[in-house]
This record gives sequence, C-alpha cells and structure tokens, in this order.
Amino acid sequence: MRAERSNLGDCRLGILLLVAPALAMVLALFVYPLGMSLVSAFTAKDGKPTLENFAKAFALYGLDIVFTLVIVTVSTVLIGLLTAAIGGYLVLGAHPVAVAVLKSLYRWPLFIPFIVAAQCMRTFLAKNGIMNNTLAALGLVDVGSLSGLLDWRGIIVTFVWKETPFVALLVSGAMAALDRATIEAAANLGAGGLRILVEIILPQVAGVMLVGLVLAFVTMLSVLSVPIMISGGSPTMITVDMAFRVNSYSDYGVANALGFVSYAMAGLAAWVYLRRSVAHGSPL
Amino acid sequence: MRACLGWALRGGLLGGLAFMIFGPLANLVLWAVAIQWYFPYRLPLTWGFKYWGEVFKPTSDTVAALGTSVLIASITVVICLMLAIPAGYALGRGRLPGRRLILLILLLPQAFPNIAIYFNIARLFYAVGLNGTIAGVVLVHAVHGLVIAVWIAAAAFAAIDLELELAARNIGASSLRAALTVTLPLAMPGLIASAIFVFLESLDEFTGTFFVGVPDITTLPLVMFTASLAGNYQIAAITALVLLVPSVGFMLLIERFLKAEALAKIG
Amino acid sequence: MQRTAVLFAALAALALSLPATAQKAVTLNVVTAGDQNMVDYLKDYLGPMFEKEHPGVTVKAVGTGPGDAGSQKIYEKLEAEKANPAWDIDVAVIHQKAAGEMVGKGLLARYSAEIPTGKLVTSEAAKNALGSDVGGYVMPMFNSQTAIAYNTAMVSDPPATYDALEKWVRVNPKKFGYNGIKGGMSGVSFVVGWIYAHSPDTDRLIKGPYDPDTKKSWVPILAELAAFNKNVVLTPGNAGTLDMLNRGEIAMGPVWVDMFYTWQSDGKIPPGVKLKLIGPGMPGQPMYYVVPTKAANAKLAEDFIALATSPKVQADGIVKRFNWYPGIDTAAVKPQLDEASWSKLFVDVTPEDLATKGKPFPLAPYFNDILESYERKVQ
Repeated sequence: MRAERSNLGDCRLGILLLVAPALAMVLALFVYPLGMSLVSAFTAKDGKPTLENFAKAFALYGLDIVFTLVIVTVSTVLIGLLTAAIGGYLVLGAHPVAVAVLKSLYRWPLFIPFIVAAQCMRTFLAKNGIMNNTLAALGLVDVGSLSGLLDWRGIIVTFVWKETPFVALLVSGAMAALDRATIEAAANLGAGGLRILVEIILPQVAGVMLVGLVLAFVTMLSVLSVPIMISGGSPTMITVDMAFRVNSYSDYGVANALGFVSYAMAGLAAWVYLRRSVAHGSPL
Repeated sequence: MRACLGWALRGGLLGGLAFMIFGPLANLVLWAVAIQWYFPYRLPLTWGFKYWGEVFKPTSDTVAALGTSVLIASITVVICLMLAIPAGYALGRGRLPGRRLILLILLLPQAFPNIAIYFNIARLFYAVGLNGTIAGVVLVHAVHGLVIAVWIAAAAFAAIDLELELAARNIGASSLRAALTVTLPLAMPGLIASAIFVFLESLDEFTGTFFVGVPDITTLPLVMFTASLAGNYQIAAITALVLLVPSVGFMLLIERFLKAEALAKIG
Repeated sequence: MQRTAVLFAALAALALSLPATAQKAVTLNVVTAGDQNMVDYLKDYLGPMFEKEHPGVTVKAVGTGPGDAGSQKIYEKLEAEKANPAWDIDVAVIHQKAAGEMVGKGLLARYSAEIPTGKLVTSEAAKNALGSDVGGYVMPMFNSQTAIAYNTAMVSDPPATYDALEKWVRVNPKKFGYNGIKGGMSGVSFVVGWIYAHSPDTDRLIKGPYDPDTKKSWVPILAELAAFNKNVVLTPGNAGTLDMLNRGEIAMGPVWVDMFYTWQSDGKIPPGVKLKLIGPGMPGQPMYYVVPTKAANAKLAEDFIALATSPKVQADGIVKRFNWYPGIDTAAVKPQLDEASWSKLFVDVTPEDLATKGKPFPLAPYFNDILESYERKVQ
C-alpha cells in the first residue's frame, strides 16, 4: 500500500511547491509576454482595439506570410521523406557497412546551431561556394549561369539540413524498438524493402514521426538567424519582418500581428497532431 | 552485375549525403583559413592565419563575447537545474494534481514560435531595467532551457525504481534525505545530460539575445552574426568554429548518455 | 556535490553583482549607430586619444548596428530610461531622422554653443535634420555620400544616370546589387535617389511643405522600381554589397564613399573597382554627435565632442584615416592636411559632382512615406 502513495509523505502542497518555481518562471516569462503580444496585436497606437495592425501586416508582408508557410511546410515534408528513407535504411539495410556509415553520417548537423548552419550555408550556397564549384567541376552545370541558392530555396535547404537529424534520431529509435517479427513476416511473404517500409514500419512509428515533425515545424517558424543571413531580400520569412518592424520603427503592433500569424500557423500544426493523437489515444 | 550496381547506387547516395553534410562544414573551415577569396576562383587566393590573430587578440570583441557567452550559459544551467530538479522529481515521481495541465504549461515555450515572445519580453525588461543586462539574458535563456531540463529530469526520475527510495525510508531516512541521497545520484546521468543540453542551447542562443541583450551584452553568436552580415566571412567562420567545439565535443560525449531508444520513449 | 553547489551559487552571485560593482575610474559611455567602421573609429582612434588626455577616464564604445534601426535603438533606450535621474549614455552618434525625433521629445541637450568648436560649423546640415530644427543640439561628425561602385573589369562603360542604369540592368541581369531598404542606408539612399530621379519636384521633397498626397504620384515610379528589382541581386546590407562586389558576385552597387575607400585600403576591394556618382543625384547625410539631457557625465561628454570636432582630429581621423568628408567646415580642416590626403577623397567623385549631384535626404515625413511605399509596392 505504501508503494502507491507519493514519496513526500502524501504532502500535496509539498509536491506543488516543488513545481511552483518552474511554473512561475514559465508563467511570468512566457505566458505573460504571450498575453502582451496578443493584446498588442489588436491594439492601435492610441490604445483602442483595432484590426489595422493586421491590415497593415497583410498589405506590407502578405507575400512573406505565404512564403513562410510554403518554406516551412516544404521543409517539413522533405524532412519527413528523408527521415523515412534514413530510418528505413537503418532498419532494413542489408549491408552492415553501409548501415554503419549512414548511422555515423546523418547525425552530424544535429548539434550545429542554426546560426552556424546559416553561416556555413551562406558560403556553401553562394555563387563561388563549394556546391557550385563542385557541380561545375563535375560538368553538371555551367558556372556563368549560376546565381547561387541564396534566397528562399536556400532557407529550405538549411532547415532540412539542420532539422532532419533530429527527427531521424527520434524516428530511427522508434523503428529500432519495433518488434522485428512483423518485418520478418512480411519479408517472408515476399514484400520488398520499400513496401515493408511504407506498409509495416511507418504506420507503427507514425506517432513519433508526427511529434518530431510538429516540433520541427514550430522550431522552424521561429528562426531568425537563417532567413536574415541567407536571403537578402523578398520574399523572406516573417521573422525577418518582425525584427525589422521592432528595430527600425518600434512598431510593436504590426510585429505582434505578424507574431499572431505565426501562432496561427503553429496552431495548425498542433491541431494536426492533436487530431491524430485523439484518434489513436496516445498520451499527452 | 546487380551487386555492382547496388554498390554503385549505395556509394553514390552515401557519397552525395556525405557531400551535403560535410560540404557546408568544409566551406566554413576554408573561410577560416582564407585571406582573400574572390569569384571565379574555386579556392581562396591567399591562405593564412591572419584573421585568427585578429579574432583572438586579447582586446578583441570575440574573446570578450566568448567570456560573456560562457558566463551566461553557466548561470543559466545553474538556474535551470535548480528549478528543473524539483519540478522533474514531482512530475516524474509524485502523484501530482493537475499533472496534465502543468505539463502543458511547461511545454508551451517549445510549442509556440517564440520570436514574438522575445521582443515582448524585451519591452517588459525595458520597463524594469533588465534589458541589456546579463541577468535579463540569463532569464530568457533559462525559460527556453527549462522545458528541456524538466522534460529530461522527469524522464530520468521516472526511470528510477521506487523500491530503492522506499527501502531507504524503511530503514529510517526521512523522505527528503532519501530523495537526496538515493534518488538524486541515480538520476545523475540524465541530469548531467540535461545540463549539457541547456548549456549548449544557451551558448548557441541567438534570437532572444538579439532582442534582449543588444547593444550592451554581446555573446558569441551575436559577434558571428554581425561579422557575417558585415561581410567578414573569415571572422564569422573562425567564430563559428569556436562555437562548434563544445557542440561537437558534447555530441560525441552524449552518445554515452542518450541512446536513441530512450529518446523515442520521451516522444 | 554540495561543494559544487556552493561554488555555483557563489559564481552566480558574483556574476550578478558585477554590474553593480563600483569602478574607481569614470567611464564615458559612447553609443554609436552605423556600421562597424563607426565603432572602430571610437575604439581604435578617438577613445585612446581622449583617454590619454584625461587620465582616469575609460571610454566605452558600443555599436547598435547600421541604418536607422541602430539610431532607433538609442532612441528607445533613452525613452525607456526617461524617468531615471541619470542616463547611461553620455555621447551618442545618430542619424538625422532620429536626431529630429529626439530633439522633439526633449531627450537631447543644447550644447554646441558651449564648446569651442561649435562655431566651426556653419552648414545647413548642422541646423536642419530632415526638416526638424536641431540647431545647437548637434555637431556633425562627418558628411558622407553614396555613389555607385563598379568593377572596371566587368563594366567598361558605367551608366551615368538612373535611366541609363535601368537600361543597363535589363541587358545585364543580376549584375547589379543593393540591399533594398533593410539592413543599411546605402540601399535606402539608392531608393531615395530613384524617387528623386523620377519625381518632378525634388526640391519640395527636400524642403517641404509636406503633402501626404504626394505618395500617390509615386505609384508608377515604384512599379518601375519593382520591375528593376527583378533584374538585380538583393544584398544583406551596406557591407553585403561591398562584399559581393569584392567577390565578383555583382559588378555594380550603391555604396557609402567612406566605407568604400576604407575597404579598398584594407585590401578588401580589388583595385579595379571605382566610383561614379550618377545623375540626377544620390543622397548623403551627416551623422551627429549628441549629448542626452540627463547624461551622467555631461561635461566630459562635451569635452569628448569638442575633441572629436577639432580641426586636427577631423583632418587626421575623419578625413585621412577613415575617408569621410569632414563634419565641420572645409575651411577649418583643409589647411591641416597635405594636398595628397585631401584630394584622395575626390578622386572619383569630384567636388563639382558633390555640388551638383550630392543631395540631402528628404523631409522626415516624406522619408517615412518613401520607406512605407517601398514596402507596400515594391516588396
């Protein structure tokens, strides 16, 4: 009986006190500014409630809003595909050498911070960067016509580069924990690698994959360093526009309106996640 | 024949992957040792360590920024652990009323794109005089790191067998003493892992410091950013390498503490 | 375990108390907007010079970044500390737009009459900042000018006017680069110059009166700029443009004349790159030394500015070392320099060019209209 009671002698208050400081910090330094942000988005300079911040945000940055969604969604899809490929190969790969090489390779970008990744890509994707030079050396492209990938496509490349190892790590762990019986059964029935991956493995790790992708989606929505350093001009991500509004004009109204748009996008991802986890009864 | 084709394909794909992963890093290293490099030259025109001298001279911004970054990261780790250990313990072990709600609140900083939060915090800090101070930046880093720290701490504590603690209490230890002398040491590896994560996140943190710290507090990522936008790629590359050392070093170390399967359980 | 905890706590306490630790020496806080060259000027040249003349004083120089955003940060900081008894900025170096705003808000002290060099400045720029009266509140640090830098190896016959540039860009796509209006004033200058080139009444834009309907007449002009942008490269900022010129990624771009010459002397721009001030004109601006009203060390701040605007420092530092046009009157500075040092400033951009094609920025409300219209119509 004692084993079921909580350790600190059943002191509910004591337990709450343990959590209180952490909670207080998050409430004060996250929830409260979040509230400030929401209020500011809907308040005009004279203090009255208004939608003009949103009108201005859409008028000036409408294209960027669309592009932000495109960039982050495309990146997430690519990350998903690459993760499935990497995870699948690690589990199903028949050649131990190749599997070992892949395992040691794919994790490298994981611990490289976004800002360093942005700097690496800034030079790698530039006109005189290694990528262009190598492609030119291999005769695949003509160097004079290249312009480098330093625009919204470069942002996608950087995001995929940086976030894939994280999601792949989560997913390959989940795949490794699967019961091999189902895989072997399918293989015995003659299914090929791709089919096993798509029909047997992926459905079982879909939950973990979704968690990883949603986390990656939300993380990418918040990155400032990458778009500022890689893409010189429009279209770019709204994080750059938010920083510009705040730094150049102290225009918190429009900046927070853009922030609201990014919350809405994150909300979209969260909704996708919740729908699935409610349907499948997974925890949290 | 098919085997050869298979190997060619495997080799090609893995080679391509290696190029995409190491190419950007190699480009960084090249810029760190380049002095002059213009288009259409494929490699730097002149090489040397001239910029290393500039970056590491004692009066340089970079050395000061490195010191500031490490200081901020260290204090952040202390604060995060002080908050996360009790919270993780309560979440991982105790029967917490409203556990779901509390978890949700604690998870919020990771669930929302936090750039807008940062510039609003900056506004808040302006009003109380915390903007542009080390304490302000530490607080911002700590909130961000708290989520990871609590998450990992909770998982670490949850993994410890309750029986061990009860055994200690059975022989007369108070619950606090049992927690401190039995449970805490067992959770150490997980807690150290979370400390390392928080340290690295703080060291590499850019967006929050950009709004809350500028112009008085300069961390290494900010120096790198300014150098890069100013076209000083050599300085940016060298600073980036300095930032990478702890990250890559700990990546190799962390293989020992976090297996992929454990990460999957957390998800 | 306990020892480490105590150690950490001690470290934390020490670090958090550091800002509060009193320093025996006096620190003069100088905050400057602008690119890295502004900070370098203070750290490597002016700061040590002032410290030598005033033992016991340490000059702390901090940069807030390029463009109006840098000046905006200084404005915000002072606004936020308004109620405090003493402010933590003693000397600030800011752009014209912010100077106008800050004088309007009563944040700046009227000091130039108190310092000996105050009477060495008679230009209009020291009294009028984009339409705001700032006489007495500011001392110009330097005057600067934008021009188009071009690589002679890639461009044999550079265009001489905005119209010619437009045609050139259509024939040579992606060889011209500028930074839009974010990240640096060289791009902003280019856009303002574009409006000047296509506007019938440039004088009204510069001198006023302000008419909010004028921006409607810019719609077709900006549509042309949007079409122009399709054939250019957008760079990350002032230094970004210079950097791309250096690496041959672009062949032409607007630059600040001083930054250009400094980069060239540092070996960061190949010798074959030259400047051309295109017609009908491109803007330039002074940056101002100002003293906040509640500066903690106001007298020292005034001494600092007096040193910075003395003919010797203007000649040696501003003109010779950092390639700016002097902030105080030419008549006071030219005698301090030898012929070679003086004329190097005018190699590609002659005094005649400056007189005819060097323009000030427009009136502040027009300036804001231009920036906003660009965001609406061109981006």
